[in-house]
Amino acid sequence: MKEKANISYPLFESFKDKLKPKRSQAQMALSQVNVFSRLSWQEIKIVENAVHIRNYAPGEPVFKQGDPGSGMYIIIEGSVGIFLDIPQQAPKQLSKLSDGDFFGEIALLDESPRTAAATAIENSTIIGFYRPDLMDILKTKPALGGKILLALSEVLAVRLRSTNGELVKVSRKLESVLESGANE
Amino acid sequence: MSNTDSVTIAPQSVRLFFQSFFKTLVYFFILVLVLAGAYKAFPLVVDALFLIVIAAILTAVFNPLVDRLESSGLRRIYGTLLMFGGIFGMVALGVIKGIPTLLNEVSRIKDVIQENSATESLNSVMGDINSRIAEYIPGFQLDLDLITSLSSQFFGQLGSVLAGALDTLATIIFILIITMFFLVDGKRMTKQLIGMVPNRYFEMSLNITYKTKRQLTNFLRGQLLAALGVAIQSFIGLSLLNWIFDTNISGVLLISTIAGMANMIPFVGPFMGMVPAIIVSLFNNLGDPVAASHFYFILHIIGMFLIVQMIDNNIISPIVVSGSMEMHPLTVILLILVGSQIGVLGMFLAVPAWGISKVVIQEVYQGLKGHHLI
Repeated sequence: MKEKANISYPLFESFKDKLKPKRSQAQMALSQVNVFSRLSWQEIKIVENAVHIRNYAPGEPVFKQGDPGSGMYIIIEGSVGIFLDIPQQAPKQLSKLSDGDFFGEIALLDESPRTAAATAIENSTIIGFYRPDLMDILKTKPALGGKILLALSEVLAVRLRSTNGELVKVSRKLESVLESGANE
Repeated sequence: MSNTDSVTIAPQSVRLFFQSFFKTLVYFFILVLVLAGAYKAFPLVVDALFLIVIAAILTAVFNPLVDRLESSGLRRIYGTLLMFGGIFGMVALGVIKGIPTLLNEVSRIKDVIQENSATESLNSVMGDINSRIAEYIPGFQLDLDLITSLSSQFFGQLGSVLAGALDTLATIIFILIITMFFLVDGKRMTKQLIGMVPNRYFEMSLNITYKTKRQLTNFLRGQLLAALGVAIQSFIGLSLLNWIFDTNISGVLLISTIAGMANMIPFVGPFMGMVPAIIVSLFNNLGDPVAASHFYFILHIIGMFLIVQMIDNNIISPIVVSGSMEMHPLTVILLILVGSQIGVLGMFLAVPAWGISKVVIQEVYQGLKGHHLI
């Protein structure tokens, strides 16, 4: 078999580089989130125009536990801790999220209070995508809004399935414990 | 030791005193300058703010239409231009055709009222009306002078408002241009403004802005649609009265417009819309024995407006008006009293203005409460 000659054409390469569309950090971060992963770059650009990019200092709360939920966050740079406030105790850290991670997506659909607090651990740049932004996209670009909603429902379906699985496991365990207790 | 301290500290404290005194003086001087500047610029700021507020209200009204055009695939700027093409066309038509006609109508009615205010026929009509009222409410008398002066004042003020609209055509166009910019770029402007809010209040501000905007749009759209509904029904009703009973009511378009606008005021509005029709019928039919035998068609007009109100209250308003206008009758009366200090226009605008403020205050309060800030 003949091997392909590895010839480079610097002029062609430089043109290729120049023609290559420039993606912003926010666009790259958005494209990695499963809610937006199926969108075209043009659609991601529309979403980028709708979202809000915010900077947080270390220790600054992104939202507090009990606040009405209003949207999701995607970390472009930095890290955020998810904390559970326990009365008369120090807040318990549930997880630490970093570049590309996202949280709070359920709040896009539901205004129920936040179940945990999110606090920046270091200097962080975070994208906020809120319900008003989604509503606006649904109103002005219904096809794009539909795609986002479909992806969100898929996220919810996966979570529901996993919760159901866990529930089945727990109820089987409970049954076996009850049975063994009855036998004894 | 203490002596030396006191000797060394004294000039320092004096210096500190003079420093702080000088600083205070400079701050005071700056404050006076700022206040003087603000006082001088106040009318300009108020004027600009007035234009912006009107443009913002118009934006809230037209935004859903532009959104609809954008959702159909048209670019936002083209959708806005298309809509404004229509609006400018209508404004031009209104200026060329409508306003001069309305002005003529208003000045004619005003002249008729002034001409007839002292005539014997009007006195006899009022005597007839008073005697009929006395059958039901003994001792009650309508004051002729008060009625003629109020009617003349009402139509006079309306005439000056319409004439003012012609004079301030440039202002109207300016407001429409601001509205156009708000419609095209309003979302980006709002985003940049909210972007300045500190992180702690950001989510809350965004939510309040969104909900207030939504409520305001619903409220204004509902009010305007209901007003339009009442105006169209009144126009049809008055035209039918003219056609069937030959009531000789002139200025049907103007009276219908007043009835539609007055409908924005709960409780009192429907009566305010009815009054011009009755006045016009009364003055137009003076000396006509047929009209006199029909009690100057006053009952016909009241009946027609009652039917309009029934249709509006039971069919149109429940569909188009949101519940945000629910007010206590006492609040409405107080608002109209306050509005009357500015004139007839103030009476018209006081209740809708309060309705808008109420929506904004409610949303801000709910937002602050939800985020545990109050």
